[in-house]
Amino acid sequence: MRFVMFITLKGFFRDRLVHGLLISLVFFAAIPSLSNLSMRQVTELSITLSLSMISVLQLVLAVFLGGTSLWKDIERRYAFSLLALPFSRGRYLLGKFLAVALFTLGVAVVLGCVTCAVVTIAAASYPPDRPIVWWNLLLAIGMDACKYILLSSFAFLFATVSSSFFLPVLGTLAVFMVGSASQGALEYLGSSEAATMAPLFKRTVSYLYYLVPNFSAFDLKVNAIYGIPVSGRGMILTLLYFVAYLGAVISLAMLLFSRREMK
Amino acid sequence: MTSQTLHEPAIELANLCKVYSGKGGSRLQALQGVTLAVRQGEVFGFLGPNGAGKSSAIKSIMGLITPSSGSVRIMGQPATDPDSRQPVGYLPENPSFYDTLTAEEYLLFVGRSFGMKWVTLRQETERVLKLLEIWDARKRPLRSFSKGMVQRVGIAQVLVHDPAILVLDEPMSGLDPLGRALVKEIILDLKSRGKTVFFSTHIIADVEEVCDRVGVILNGELRAVEEVREVMAAGVHGYRLKIRDTESGEIEEVTIHRPALSGYLHGLTPRKEILLMEPVRRNLEEFFLELVKGAAAPGPEAM
Ligand SMILES: Nc1ncnc2c1ncn2[C@@H]1O[C@H](COP(=O)(O)OP(=O)(O)OP(=O)(O)O)[C@@H](O)[C@H]1O
Ligand SMILES: [Mg+2]
Repeated sequence: MRFVMFITLKGFFRDRLVHGLLISLVFFAAIPSLSNLSMRQVTELSITLSLSMISVLQLVLAVFLGGTSLWKDIERRYAFSLLALPFSRGRYLLGKFLAVALFTLGVAVVLGCVTCAVVTIAAASYPPDRPIVWWNLLLAIGMDACKYILLSSFAFLFATVSSSFFLPVLGTLAVFMVGSASQGALEYLGSSEAATMAPLFKRTVSYLYYLVPNFSAFDLKVNAIYGIPVSGRGMILTLLYFVAYLGAVISLAMLLFSRREMK
Repeated sequence: MTSQTLHEPAIELANLCKVYSGKGGSRLQALQGVTLAVRQGEVFGFLGPNGAGKSSAIKSIMGLITPSSGSVRIMGQPATDPDSRQPVGYLPENPSFYDTLTAEEYLLFVGRSFGMKWVTLRQETERVLKLLEIWDARKRPLRSFSKGMVQRVGIAQVLVHDPAILVLDEPMSGLDPLGRALVKEIILDLKSRGKTVFFSTHIIADVEEVCDRVGVILNGELRAVEEVREVMAAGVHGYRLKIRDTESGEIEEVTIHRPALSGYLHGLTPRKEILLMEPVRRNLEEFFLELVKGAAAPGPEAM
């Protein structure tokens, strides 16, 4: 399993993925000067921009790396020789997924350092009204990484049953959108304005809410930007939720993949 | 090794059936009740025309596809168990490997997956890369390899962990004449070291040269399993003789059917001198073609 993980990671590095990420650093370099345009909330804006930038990059990675890494092995027929090695398909899948998860974490660490540098530069040019809570910033980036690891597990799940990359890529995007909106949608349903809606529709939405992960729980951007204290209990609950959800999705993916025909 | 595992077939297919179901409910019966036992230490050739079901049978052995019915065992272990592949090296047809890795890295990965010790693995990697004449290219990514070079990597990754059973799907395809000769040499060497080799091909000459037994598969059915030596011996159906008349010096050539030979020899007068006598054999190719034609145009008993 770890050997599959190693060669998959090696593949990511050789595939010039890292080059692409390096290019994104150019945008980060532009953040301090962009933030200065806001005149007053320079630090806040630099944090917002950095975190959004990280989110976009991680989303692209989760959808494309998660969605194509398994698909590519099958499509290019690498899987015939790989799956004939003396380990189970579940382990193979786990190895591949761990590679994607580790890569996501690695990207989070690197971009986290970059963000710290960017925010420091921005804050130096225009001292913020309130002190920057670095700890919150790091937590926000960490939780964001967890969110995208969870999202890539869906990409893997879709890839185990699909022979094209449309389902993994588009399916993952759909999960992301529904998962990000679900909290808001549920709250809206509970409100008085939604009282006139068909009960069947309401029920469908609330099922979706429980089926699709609730990504807003992972969102600590506001805490990072305005230095609002993070609830420790909330964090632990979200992490437990993350572990349980991830375990369920990956187990299902392993089960489905072990039945897949390699023809 | 207990005496029981010693007599166990290396690979055992029992009533193996495979139906591919395609779009719109179309069904294709790729394997129809194939039963076959490959003995330990033999070289078994799996012969059949395109689309006969060779690769389907091999993929079932490697657990890549699930048989519709029937079972596969490797050294007595069901092929559904990943551990059954521990003694097996597999070469897929038209292989393709992670093309960002180098040949050397890929072999090291395969060896590690089989649990080889690092020191032996390095030695073996060097040995097989040199054996297959891709040592000089070992540091290049596989995407820069030609088709035949990839095939050589495919064979190298089978040999690197020195498996007891080798399952090769068209090992000679894509190779130049030197490469084909090399692979035959490798197979004979494996046989001399007691390994089991099961390989598919549609080239009859390859079977003649290296196989102990041959199985002929047609339209998903195993039509014959024969000792290659016996097919060759049973194939002698007559003799060609070159005879010189010692007085006139005239040379004539005759072909005599096997049963008529002794009668003919008795009838020769002392004036006649036999210069040459050679068997006329129906070779494996004719044996194979007969089977194929028999299937294409069924005789009255098959109707
Ligand atoms: N994935 C698949 N889906 C549907 N049918 C398939 C599939 N793979 C193979 N077949 C069919 O099964 C039959 C056997 O194919 P198989 O690949 O086993 O033949 P083969 O003997 O290996 O042929 P070749 O010498 O061309 O490699 C063929 O009729 C083929 O069309
Ligand atoms: Mg084939």
